[in-house]
Amino acid sequence: MPLLVRKTLRDYRRALIGWTIGICLFSGMYTSFFPQMRENPDFYSQAALAKYPDGVRKLMGGLENITSGTGFLQAVVYQLFVPLLFTMCAVVLANRALAAPEESGTLELTLTLPVDRKRLVLERFAGLAVALLVVAVVSLAVLAILGSAVGLDVSFDRILAAHTGLYLLVLLFGTLALAVGAATGKKALAMSVAGAYAVVGYVVNALSADVEVMKWLNVFSPFHYYSEGNPLVNGFPIGDYLVLLAATAVLTLTAVLSFDRRDVGV
Amino acid sequence: MTAVVETEGLTKFYGKRRGLEDLTLEIHPGEVFGYLGPNGAGKTTTIRLLLDVIRPTRGLARVLGADPRDAAIRGRIGYLPGELALEGREKASEYLEFLAGVRGGVAKGRIEALAERLEADLSVRMGQLSKGNKQKVGLIQAFMHEPEFLILDEPTSGLDPLVQQEFLAMVREVRTAGRTVLMSSHVLAEVEHVSDRVGIVRRGRLVAVEDIAALREKAVRKVELHFDAPVPEEAFRDLPGVRELKVEGASLRCTIDGRPDALIKAAARFTVVHMVSAEPDLEEIFLTYYSEDVHHAPVGA
Ligand SMILES: Nc1ncnc2c1ncn2[C@@H]1O[C@H](COP(=O)(O)OP(=O)(O)OP(=O)(O)O)[C@@H](O)[C@H]1O
Ligand SMILES: [Mg+2]
Repeated sequence: MPLLVRKTLRDYRRALIGWTIGICLFSGMYTSFFPQMRENPDFYSQAALAKYPDGVRKLMGGLENITSGTGFLQAVVYQLFVPLLFTMCAVVLANRALAAPEESGTLELTLTLPVDRKRLVLERFAGLAVALLVVAVVSLAVLAILGSAVGLDVSFDRILAAHTGLYLLVLLFGTLALAVGAATGKKALAMSVAGAYAVVGYVVNALSADVEVMKWLNVFSPFHYYSEGNPLVNGFPIGDYLVLLAATAVLTLTAVLSFDRRDVGV
Repeated sequence: MTAVVETEGLTKFYGKRRGLEDLTLEIHPGEVFGYLGPNGAGKTTTIRLLLDVIRPTRGLARVLGADPRDAAIRGRIGYLPGELALEGREKASEYLEFLAGVRGGVAKGRIEALAERLEADLSVRMGQLSKGNKQKVGLIQAFMHEPEFLILDEPTSGLDPLVQQEFLAMVREVRTAGRTVLMSSHVLAEVEHVSDRVGIVRRGRLVAVEDIAALREKAVRKVELHFDAPVPEEAFRDLPGVRELKVEGASLRCTIDGRPDALIKAAARFTVVHMVSAEPDLEEIFLTYYSEDVHHAPVGA
């Protein structure tokens, strides 16, 4: 593994452990509620319908079928909270790649190493991608094991398909933050842009079934490509995932080119 | 021999703010070049341009014969940033090893030897290093791979006097080995004993480049002569280079610009019993560059 990637991962280590534990605890805790839910299916689906007004429920992905293993997993893990948490993780880690060290001044010495700027950005991106992959793999393992323990009865390849989508989704937001940081060197800006895009993208996707404009806007929402194919039911939506990957590639290229062109630390 | 640094009309504006304007300068192989100027003069700007951290608004720079954008040449440079930032939980020794690795490795024991010389404790986490110790880590990383060209931005800031002496010894060794050094400072005293030449920048412009030996010759020095009997003032009046002449009985006080030759010859007609000559005060010349608009000063290599 290249030195710079290794160094990036070493710098991420503590944060990475924290986020991994957080995300696993969160999804694990919710998954472990499943047996209760299965015991009282009527009560919980009534409660879910009653508890939230219509609009909110739509934002939460409908909350239908939450008493089946697939519906439950979709609602409590893949719909909102875990993508949100994981996106935050991605954006925070992405900021530590360029924008944060630039603001603190530590990037200057790194830049004066005999490493091409393009390569520096690429290796920092690789470090981010590997770090997020670690979180994804560990949380996938926790979900798969816990899921079979509580009798979710969702096959591993479906969970894998959904989790792959989750990984590609957060990698996209992380790369967006990286690109904004690479272009501007401002971590607050990078965080706001990525955060706003995630929130707006989510809302647009959630409302796209009902609101006509949202339907058109939805082609720009990463959540559309993340959830449209319903991977927990249908397996890998290859085309949709390729769109997410392509967007990440474009953003990476943007990051590389814009960082190569500008003054650093100004 | 190609110049180690060669710039032509090198200019950097930060928006409308002038960082550096029209710098034309050459630094030769094997010399120690002192780069002097008051706060905000443009020293750090120049250095960052040479290292491709920032890009020139216009003008040209070549370092070690190549474009500063050429990443490969940076492996032959050792750089100490003026605003060195080191942070995190990583130990200083781990960070140094990382830097060494990226630069293609350093001789075994080299880091430890430098740490010992500078009395730096490398087992401390970087975020917890004191200012002086950060500076030492910065110096170690700049020197450790024995680069052909050292660029040191205010290297002595934060160092105690003993460590400063050790650092200057390290610079002299580098010069003896035939390698090149560019170091910036606010005060001449810090660099005059190791530099061959100094360049002086003010408000983004290079106002003078001086040979230290020549500067010393031109320097103002205070001289006191004591004779065995009172001397007439007329004998010393209007001597070339003699100023602020004061004759009181058997003693004479004056300042000399440049060579003391005329004064010595005039004094030789009398019996000199005692003579005091202070070290040339280069700082004084230097301060005139700082405070006035000196445009007639010699500029260029
Ligand atoms: N990032 C920046 N943005 C705007 N102006 C800048 C920036 N960096 C430097 N300047 C301006 O450029 C000029 C030269 O600054 P520079 O840092 O090169 O000075 P210096 O000689 O290194 O000063 P010091 O001795 O204080 O370190 C100053 O007027 C400064 O205000
Ligand atoms: Mg400076």
